[in-house]
Amino acid sequence: MTTLEKMSGQVDDATASYIVQNQRCFEDLKQVASQLAGLLVLAAAGSKNAQPDHPMLASAGELFREAQDAVRRARPTERAQKHYEHLARAAAEIGVALKEAGDQLKSDRVLIPLRAGYAELERAADALPGFEKVAYERACCGLGRAQ
Amino acid sequence: MTSAYSVWVMEYAAVPNYPQSGLIYGMHNQGTRKLPYCYVVIKGQGQLAMVDVGYNHKAHGEVLANTYGVRGWHSPHAVLGEIGIQPQDISTIFITHAHFDHMGNIEDFPNATFYLEERELSKWVWTMSLHRRFRWLMLGIDPADIMRAVDLARQGRLVCVEGDRENVLPGVDLHAAFDTHTWGSMYVTVRNDLATNSQNSFVFCGDLAYGYENLRGHDPDDPEYIPIGLATGSQFGVIMTADAMVKSVGGDVHRVIPPHEERLKDLYPSRITKNGLRITELALADGEKSQVR
Repeated sequence: MTTLEKMSGQVDDATASYIVQNQRCFEDLKQVASQLAGLLVLAAAGSKNAQPDHPMLASAGELFREAQDAVRRARPTERAQKHYEHLARAAAEIGVALKEAGDQLKSDRVLIPLRAGYAELERAADALPGFEKVAYERACCGLGRAQ
Repeated sequence: MTSAYSVWVMEYAAVPNYPQSGLIYGMHNQGTRKLPYCYVVIKGQGQLAMVDVGYNHKAHGEVLANTYGVRGWHSPHAVLGEIGIQPQDISTIFITHAHFDHMGNIEDFPNATFYLEERELSKWVWTMSLHRRFRWLMLGIDPADIMRAVDLARQGRLVCVEGDRENVLPGVDLHAAFDTHTWGSMYVTVRNDLATNSQNSFVFCGDLAYGYENLRGHDPDDPEYIPIGLATGSQFGVIMTADAMVKSVGGDVHRVIPPHEERLKDLYPSRITKNGLRITELALADGEKSQVR
Protein backbone atom coordinates (compact mmCIF):
# COMPACT_ATOMS: atom_id res chain seq x y z
CA MET A 1 0.00 0.00 0.00
CA THR A 2 1.38 3.42 -0.91
CA THR A 3 1.62 6.25 1.59
CA LEU A 4 -1.09 8.17 -0.26
CA GLU A 5 -3.45 5.21 0.06
CA LYS A 6 -2.63 4.87 3.76
CA MET A 7 -3.30 8.57 4.34
CA SER A 8 -6.63 8.43 2.54
CA GLY A 9 -9.34 9.66 4.89
CA GLN A 10 -6.85 10.67 7.60
CA VAL A 11 -5.78 14.02 6.17
CA ASP A 12 -6.75 16.29 3.29
CA ASP A 13 -5.17 15.73 -0.12
CA ALA A 14 -2.74 18.63 0.09
CA THR A 15 -1.47 17.46 3.48
CA ALA A 16 -1.21 13.88 2.19
CA SER A 17 0.92 15.24 -0.61
CA TYR A 18 3.10 17.10 1.93
CA ILE A 19 3.52 13.86 3.87
CA VAL A 20 4.59 11.93 0.80
CA GLN A 21 7.05 14.63 -0.23
CA ASN A 22 8.63 14.91 3.21
CA GLN A 23 8.76 11.34 4.46
CA ARG A 24 12.11 10.89 2.82
CA CYS A 25 13.70 13.89 4.44
CA PHE A 26 12.28 12.88 7.83
CA GLU A 27 13.79 9.42 7.36
CA ASP A 28 17.08 10.94 6.23
CA LEU A 29 17.30 13.20 9.28
CA LYS A 30 16.53 10.21 11.49
CA GLN A 31 19.26 8.29 9.72
CA VAL A 32 21.79 11.08 10.23
CA ALA A 33 20.85 11.31 13.90
CA SER A 34 21.21 7.52 14.23
CA GLN A 35 24.59 7.54 12.52
CA LEU A 36 25.87 10.25 14.82
CA ALA A 37 24.45 8.55 17.90
CA GLY A 38 26.00 5.27 16.85
CA LEU A 39 29.41 6.88 16.53
CA LEU A 40 28.97 8.57 19.91
CA VAL A 41 28.18 5.23 21.56
CA LEU A 42 31.22 3.60 20.04
CA ALA A 43 33.39 6.56 21.06
CA ALA A 44 32.01 6.58 24.60
CA ALA A 45 32.46 2.81 24.85
CA GLY A 46 36.12 3.24 23.93
CA SER A 47 36.13 2.02 20.34
CA LYS A 48 39.27 3.07 18.51
CA ASN A 49 37.36 3.27 15.24
CA ALA A 50 35.07 6.05 16.40
CA GLN A 51 37.08 9.13 15.40
CA PRO A 52 36.10 12.42 13.75
CA ASP A 53 37.54 11.11 10.47
CA HIS A 54 35.22 8.07 10.49
CA PRO A 55 33.87 7.61 6.92
CA MET A 56 30.31 7.49 8.21
CA LEU A 57 30.55 11.14 9.19
CA ALA A 58 31.11 12.03 5.54
CA SER A 59 28.12 9.99 4.39
CA ALA A 60 26.03 11.47 7.20
CA GLY A 61 27.05 14.94 6.03
CA GLU A 62 26.00 14.19 2.48
CA LEU A 63 22.66 12.79 3.59
CA PHE A 64 22.14 15.78 5.84
CA ARG A 65 22.66 18.25 3.01
CA GLU A 66 20.00 16.45 0.93
CA ALA A 67 17.60 16.48 3.85
CA GLN A 68 18.31 20.13 4.59
CA ASP A 69 17.54 21.06 0.97
CA ALA A 70 14.30 19.10 1.15
CA VAL A 71 13.27 20.91 4.33
CA ARG A 72 13.92 24.26 2.65
CA ARG A 73 11.79 23.25 -0.33
CA ALA A 74 8.88 21.94 1.76
CA ARG A 75 5.60 23.84 1.54
CA PRO A 76 3.46 22.83 4.51
CA THR A 77 -0.31 23.10 4.57
CA GLU A 78 -1.99 24.61 7.59
CA ARG A 79 -2.54 21.10 8.97
CA ALA A 80 1.15 20.31 8.44
CA GLN A 81 2.54 23.57 9.82
CA LYS A 82 3.36 22.20 13.27
CA HIS A 83 5.05 19.18 11.75
CA TYR A 84 7.12 21.40 9.52
CA GLU A 85 8.27 23.58 12.42
CA HIS A 86 9.53 20.52 14.29
CA LEU A 87 11.19 19.20 11.15
CA ALA A 88 12.97 22.50 10.52
CA ARG A 89 14.15 22.71 14.13
CA ALA A 90 15.34 19.09 13.93
CA ALA A 91 17.38 19.89 10.84
CA ALA A 92 18.93 22.93 12.51
CA GLU A 93 19.91 21.02 15.68
CA ILE A 94 21.22 17.97 13.87
CA GLY A 95 23.22 20.27 11.61
CA VAL A 96 24.91 21.77 14.65
CA ALA A 97 25.65 18.31 16.05
CA LEU A 98 27.13 17.20 12.75
CA LYS A 99 29.37 20.23 12.54
CA GLU A 100 30.64 19.73 16.09
CA ALA A 101 31.23 16.01 15.48
CA GLY A 102 33.87 16.91 12.94
CA ASP A 103 36.00 18.21 15.81
CA GLN A 104 35.36 15.99 18.80
CA LEU A 105 33.03 13.00 19.02
CA LYS A 106 33.03 12.74 22.79
CA SER A 107 31.92 16.27 23.41
CA ASP A 108 28.60 17.41 24.84
CA ARG A 109 28.62 19.91 22.00
CA VAL A 110 27.59 16.97 19.80
CA LEU A 111 25.25 15.12 22.10
CA ILE A 112 23.16 18.05 23.35
CA PRO A 113 22.05 19.35 19.93
CA LEU A 114 21.73 15.79 18.66
CA ARG A 115 19.36 14.90 21.47
CA ALA A 116 17.42 18.11 20.89
CA GLY A 117 17.22 17.39 17.17
CA TYR A 118 15.99 13.88 17.70
CA ALA A 119 13.39 15.10 20.19
CA GLU A 120 12.12 17.45 17.46
CA LEU A 121 11.87 14.52 15.08
CA GLU A 122 9.82 12.64 17.67
CA ARG A 123 7.51 15.64 18.00
CA ALA A 124 7.23 15.83 14.23
CA ALA A 125 6.27 12.14 14.12
CA ASP A 126 3.54 12.81 16.68
CA ALA A 127 2.22 15.81 14.74
CA LEU A 128 1.17 14.00 11.55
CA PRO A 129 0.51 10.42 10.48
CA GLY A 130 2.97 8.77 8.13
CA PHE A 131 6.15 9.53 10.07
CA GLU A 132 7.32 6.67 12.28
CA LYS A 133 9.97 6.87 14.98
CA VAL A 134 10.67 3.16 14.58
CA ALA A 135 9.95 1.11 11.48
CA TYR A 136 7.41 -1.01 13.33
CA GLU A 137 6.13 -2.53 10.11
CA ARG A 138 9.47 -4.19 9.58
CA ALA A 139 9.91 -5.21 13.22
CA CYS A 140 8.69 -8.37 14.94
CA CYS A 141 5.63 -6.57 16.24
CA GLY A 142 4.65 -5.49 12.73
CA LEU A 143 3.09 -8.87 12.13
CA GLY A 144 0.58 -8.34 14.90
CA ARG A 145 -2.26 -6.08 13.87
CA ALA A 146 -4.83 -4.45 16.09
CA GLN A 147 -8.09 -6.39 15.93
CA MET B 1 17.88 -29.40 44.15
CA THR B 2 19.94 -26.49 45.47
CA SER B 3 19.27 -23.16 43.77
CA ALA B 4 21.53 -20.15 44.03
CA TYR B 5 19.05 -17.86 42.32
CA SER B 6 15.34 -17.21 42.19
CA VAL B 7 14.19 -16.61 38.64
CA TRP B 8 10.95 -15.10 37.43
CA VAL B 9 9.65 -14.38 33.94
CA MET B 10 7.64 -11.17 34.18
CA GLU B 11 5.05 -10.34 31.52
CA TYR B 12 4.77 -6.59 30.88
CA ALA B 13 2.51 -6.51 27.81
CA ALA B 14 1.14 -8.90 25.18
CA VAL B 15 -0.25 -9.23 21.69
CA PRO B 16 -3.39 -11.39 22.00
CA ASN B 17 -3.41 -12.53 18.37
CA TYR B 18 -0.01 -12.82 16.78
CA PRO B 19 0.44 -14.74 13.50
CA GLN B 20 2.19 -18.06 14.07
CA SER B 21 4.17 -17.52 10.86
CA GLY B 22 6.04 -14.65 12.51
CA LEU B 23 7.29 -16.98 15.20
CA ILE B 24 7.79 -20.39 13.68
CA TYR B 25 9.23 -20.55 10.19
CA GLY B 26 6.77 -21.95 7.68
CA MET B 27 3.60 -21.74 9.78
CA HIS B 28 1.80 -19.65 7.21
CA ASN B 29 -1.99 -19.43 7.32
CA GLN B 30 -2.09 -21.42 10.54
CA GLY B 31 -3.71 -18.86 12.77
CA THR B 32 -2.50 -16.83 15.70
CA ARG B 33 -1.41 -17.25 19.27
CA LYS B 34 -0.88 -14.98 22.26
CA LEU B 35 2.56 -13.37 22.25
CA PRO B 36 3.52 -12.19 25.73
CA TYR B 37 6.25 -9.56 26.08
CA CYS B 38 8.41 -10.44 29.07
CA TYR B 39 11.64 -9.80 30.85
CA VAL B 40 13.44 -12.00 33.33
CA VAL B 41 14.44 -11.25 36.92
CA ILE B 42 17.33 -13.13 38.54
CA LYS B 43 17.74 -12.70 42.31
CA GLY B 44 20.32 -14.28 44.59
CA GLN B 45 23.96 -14.26 45.68
CA GLY B 46 23.44 -10.64 46.73
CA GLN B 47 22.56 -9.75 43.14
CA LEU B 48 19.49 -8.42 41.37
CA ALA B 49 19.76 -8.84 37.62
CA MET B 50 17.49 -8.84 34.61
CA VAL B 51 17.52 -10.17 31.09
CA ASP B 52 16.17 -7.37 28.85
CA VAL B 53 14.06 -4.41 29.96
CA GLY B 54 11.08 -4.13 27.61
CA TYR B 55 10.05 -0.99 25.80
CA ASN B 56 9.18 2.56 26.77
CA HIS B 57 5.45 3.12 26.58
CA LYS B 58 5.78 6.88 26.35
CA ALA B 59 7.79 6.53 23.15
CA HIS B 60 6.04 3.61 21.50
CA GLY B 61 2.91 2.69 23.39
CA GLU B 62 0.22 4.47 21.41
CA VAL B 63 1.37 3.23 18.02
CA LEU B 64 1.96 -0.29 19.28
CA ALA B 65 -1.42 -0.42 20.98
CA ASN B 66 -3.49 1.14 18.22
CA THR B 67 -1.79 -0.23 15.15
CA TYR B 68 -0.12 -3.44 16.21
CA GLY B 69 -2.44 -4.71 18.89
CA VAL B 70 -0.06 -4.69 21.86
CA ARG B 71 -2.14 -4.73 25.03
CA GLY B 72 -1.73 -4.29 28.75
CA TRP B 73 1.64 -2.55 28.97
CA HIS B 74 2.68 -1.81 32.52
CA SER B 75 5.77 -0.06 33.79
CA PRO B 76 8.70 -1.87 35.40
CA HIS B 77 7.66 -0.14 38.62
CA ALA B 78 4.29 -1.93 38.51
CA VAL B 79 5.57 -5.21 37.08
CA LEU B 80 8.55 -5.65 39.39
CA GLY B 81 6.57 -4.31 42.34
CA GLU B 82 4.54 -7.53 42.23
CA ILE B 83 7.60 -9.41 43.50
CA GLY B 84 8.74 -6.67 45.88
CA ILE B 85 11.42 -5.18 43.66
CA GLN B 86 11.84 -1.66 42.33
CA PRO B 87 13.64 -0.79 39.09
CA GLN B 88 16.26 1.21 40.96
CA ASP B 89 17.18 -1.99 42.88
CA ILE B 90 18.40 -3.70 39.70
CA SER B 91 22.19 -3.68 39.46
CA THR B 92 22.89 -5.76 36.35
CA ILE B 93 21.02 -6.08 33.05
CA PHE B 94 21.84 -8.34 30.13
CA ILE B 95 20.48 -7.10 26.80
CA THR B 96 20.02 -10.07 24.48
CA HIS B 97 19.73 -7.78 21.44
CA ALA B 98 19.04 -4.16 20.62
CA HIS B 99 15.45 -4.33 19.41
CA PHE B 100 13.28 -1.71 21.06
CA ASP B 101 11.04 -4.24 22.84
CA HIS B 102 14.10 -5.68 24.62
CA MET B 103 16.31 -2.61 25.10
CA GLY B 104 13.80 0.23 24.89
CA ASN B 105 13.42 1.05 28.56
CA ILE B 106 16.93 1.47 29.84
CA GLU B 107 16.21 4.85 31.37
CA ASP B 108 13.92 3.23 33.94
CA PHE B 109 16.90 1.44 35.52
CA PRO B 110 19.11 4.23 36.82
CA ASN B 111 21.48 2.09 38.86
CA ALA B 112 22.06 -0.83 36.52
CA THR B 113 25.11 -1.74 34.47
CA PHE B 114 24.10 -3.01 31.03
CA TYR B 115 25.84 -5.83 29.16
CA LEU B 116 25.51 -5.95 25.37
CA GLU B 117 27.55 -7.62 22.67
CA GLU B 118 29.93 -5.10 21.07
CA ARG B 119 29.07 -6.59 17.68
CA GLU B 120 25.40 -5.75 18.20
CA LEU B 121 26.34 -2.09 18.52
CA SER B 122 29.05 -1.88 15.91
CA LYS B 123 27.07 -3.74 13.24
CA TRP B 124 24.03 -1.56 13.77
CA VAL B 125 26.27 1.45 13.33
CA TRP B 126 27.68 -0.07 10.16
CA THR B 127 24.17 -0.79 8.92
CA MET B 128 23.28 2.84 9.39
CA SER B 129 25.95 3.80 6.91
CA LEU B 130 24.32 1.79 4.13
CA HIS B 131 22.02 3.21 1.47
CA ARG B 132 18.37 3.49 2.47
CA ARG B 133 17.47 0.56 0.24
CA PHE B 134 19.04 -1.57 3.02
CA ARG B 135 16.79 -0.10 5.69
CA TRP B 136 15.10 -3.43 6.38
CA LEU B 137 18.30 -4.33 8.21
CA MET B 138 17.49 -1.60 10.73
CA LEU B 139 14.23 -3.24 11.72
CA GLY B 140 13.27 -2.91 15.35
CA ILE B 141 15.95 -0.36 16.16
CA ASP B 142 14.93 2.88 17.85
CA PRO B 143 17.49 5.68 17.34
CA ALA B 144 16.46 7.05 20.73
CA ASP B 145 17.76 3.86 22.35
CA ILE B 146 21.12 4.42 20.71
CA MET B 147 21.17 7.94 22.13
CA ARG B 148 20.33 6.64 25.59
CA ALA B 149 23.15 4.14 25.21
CA VAL B 150 25.53 7.08 24.77
CA ASP B 151 24.65 8.22 28.27
CA LEU B 152 25.12 4.71 29.64
CA ALA B 153 28.55 4.46 28.06
CA ARG B 154 29.60 7.86 29.38
CA GLN B 155 28.50 6.91 32.87
CA GLY B 156 30.50 3.70 32.63
CA ARG B 157 27.30 1.65 32.80
CA LEU B 158 27.57 0.02 29.37
CA VAL B 159 29.78 -3.04 29.10
CA CYS B 160 30.45 -4.09 25.53
CA VAL B 161 31.08 -7.82 25.61
CA GLU B 162 33.18 -9.41 22.89
CA GLY B 163 32.05 -13.00 22.43
CA ASP B 164 31.40 -15.30 25.38
CA ARG B 165 32.01 -14.34 28.98
CA GLU B 166 31.77 -16.68 31.97
CA ASN B 167 30.77 -15.83 35.53
CA VAL B 168 29.67 -12.27 34.84
CA LEU B 169 27.83 -12.93 38.05
CA PRO B 170 28.50 -16.13 40.00
CA GLY B 171 27.21 -18.96 37.79
CA VAL B 172 25.92 -16.59 35.10
CA ASP B 173 27.47 -16.81 31.63
CA LEU B 174 26.94 -14.80 28.44
CA HIS B 175 27.11 -16.53 25.08
CA ALA B 176 27.43 -14.79 21.73
CA ALA B 177 25.05 -15.84 18.96
CA PHE B 178 26.35 -13.78 16.09
CA ASP B 179 24.45 -13.36 12.81
CA THR B 180 21.29 -15.03 14.05
CA HIS B 181 18.15 -13.10 15.04
CA THR B 182 20.38 -10.02 14.94
CA TRP B 183 24.03 -9.26 14.25
CA GLY B 184 25.18 -9.59 17.83
CA SER B 185 22.53 -11.43 19.81
CA MET B 186 23.48 -13.12 23.05
CA TYR B 187 21.88 -15.68 25.31
CA VAL B 188 22.32 -15.93 29.06
CA THR B 189 22.96 -19.12 31.01
CA VAL B 190 22.27 -19.35 34.72
CA ARG B 191 24.00 -22.32 36.35
CA ASN B 192 21.76 -22.39 39.36
CA ASP B 193 23.87 -24.87 41.29
CA LEU B 194 26.95 -22.73 40.49
CA ALA B 195 28.68 -25.89 39.26
CA THR B 196 30.92 -25.84 36.20
CA ASN B 197 29.12 -28.87 34.77
CA SER B 198 25.75 -27.76 35.98
CA GLN B 199 22.82 -30.11 36.43
CA ASN B 200 20.49 -27.20 37.16
CA SER B 201 20.85 -24.56 34.51
CA PHE B 202 18.54 -22.34 32.50
CA VAL B 203 19.13 -20.56 29.22
CA PHE B 204 17.45 -17.20 28.57
CA CYS B 205 17.38 -16.96 24.84
CA GLY B 206 15.88 -13.57 23.97
CA ASP B 207 14.42 -13.91 20.48
CA LEU B 208 16.68 -16.78 19.43
CA ALA B 209 13.57 -18.89 19.99
CA TYR B 210 10.03 -17.55 20.18
CA GLY B 211 8.38 -20.81 21.15
CA TYR B 212 9.15 -24.44 21.87
CA GLU B 213 8.50 -25.42 18.25
CA ASN B 214 11.75 -23.60 17.42
CA LEU B 215 13.58 -25.98 19.77
CA ARG B 216 11.81 -29.30 19.29
CA GLY B 217 9.67 -28.97 16.15
CA HIS B 218 6.04 -30.05 15.94
CA ASP B 219 6.46 -33.70 16.86
CA PRO B 220 7.90 -34.32 20.34
CA ASP B 221 8.63 -37.92 19.35
CA ASP B 222 10.78 -36.81 16.46
CA PRO B 223 12.29 -33.48 17.48
CA GLU B 224 13.89 -31.04 15.07
CA TYR B 225 14.95 -27.41 15.13
CA ILE B 226 12.74 -25.00 13.21
CA PRO B 227 13.96 -21.43 12.73
CA ILE B 228 12.21 -18.38 14.04
CA GLY B 229 10.10 -16.30 11.68
CA LEU B 230 12.45 -13.32 11.63
CA ALA B 231 16.22 -13.18 11.37
CA THR B 232 18.56 -10.41 10.28
CA GLY B 233 21.34 -12.98 10.24
CA SER B 234 20.96 -16.51 8.96
CA GLN B 235 18.54 -19.31 9.73
CA PHE B 236 21.57 -21.60 9.77
CA GLY B 237 22.94 -19.56 12.65
CA VAL B 238 19.60 -19.68 14.42
CA ILE B 239 19.45 -23.47 14.16
CA MET B 240 23.03 -24.05 15.27
CA THR B 241 22.47 -21.72 18.22
CA ALA B 242 19.29 -23.61 19.12
CA ASP B 243 21.36 -26.78 19.23
CA ALA B 244 24.03 -25.14 21.40
CA MET B 245 21.40 -23.84 23.82
CA VAL B 246 19.60 -27.18 24.11
CA LYS B 247 22.85 -29.06 24.60
CA SER B 248 23.92 -26.64 27.31
CA VAL B 249 20.91 -27.65 29.41
CA GLY B 250 21.47 -31.35 28.90
CA GLY B 251 18.85 -31.68 26.18
CA ASP B 252 15.92 -30.52 28.32
CA VAL B 253 14.31 -27.96 25.98
CA HIS B 254 12.06 -26.71 28.76
CA ARG B 255 15.11 -25.23 30.45
CA VAL B 256 15.60 -22.97 27.47
CA ILE B 257 13.32 -20.04 28.23
CA PRO B 258 11.87 -18.06 25.32
CA PRO B 259 10.42 -14.90 26.86
CA HIS B 260 7.66 -14.77 24.23
CA GLU B 261 6.49 -18.34 24.99
CA GLU B 262 3.00 -18.31 26.53
CA ARG B 263 3.19 -22.01 27.44
CA LEU B 264 5.79 -21.46 30.14
CA LYS B 265 2.75 -21.39 32.40
CA ASP B 266 2.14 -25.07 31.62
CA LEU B 267 5.65 -25.98 32.74
CA TYR B 268 6.27 -23.80 35.76
CA PRO B 269 4.14 -22.36 38.56
CA SER B 270 2.66 -18.98 37.79
CA ARG B 271 -0.01 -16.47 38.70
CA ILE B 272 -1.87 -13.60 37.08
CA THR B 273 -1.43 -10.20 38.73
CA LYS B 274 -4.16 -7.64 39.35
CA ASN B 275 -3.03 -5.99 36.11
CA GLY B 276 -3.71 -9.17 34.15
CA LEU B 277 -0.04 -9.97 33.62
CA ARG B 278 1.55 -13.34 34.30
CA ILE B 279 4.48 -14.03 36.62
CA THR B 280 6.15 -17.38 36.02
CA GLU B 281 8.46 -18.74 38.68
CA LEU B 282 11.25 -20.85 37.24
CA ALA B 283 13.31 -21.32 40.38
CA LEU B 284 13.46 -20.30 44.01
CA ALA B 285 16.73 -19.72 45.78
CA ASP B 286 17.15 -21.58 49.01
CA GLY B 287 15.12 -19.78 51.66
CA GLU B 288 13.30 -17.51 49.19
CA LYS B 289 9.53 -17.18 49.41
CA SER B 290 7.41 -18.05 46.39
CA GLN B 291 5.88 -15.08 44.58
CA VAL B 292 3.21 -17.12 42.81
CA ARG B 293 1.67 -19.33 45.45
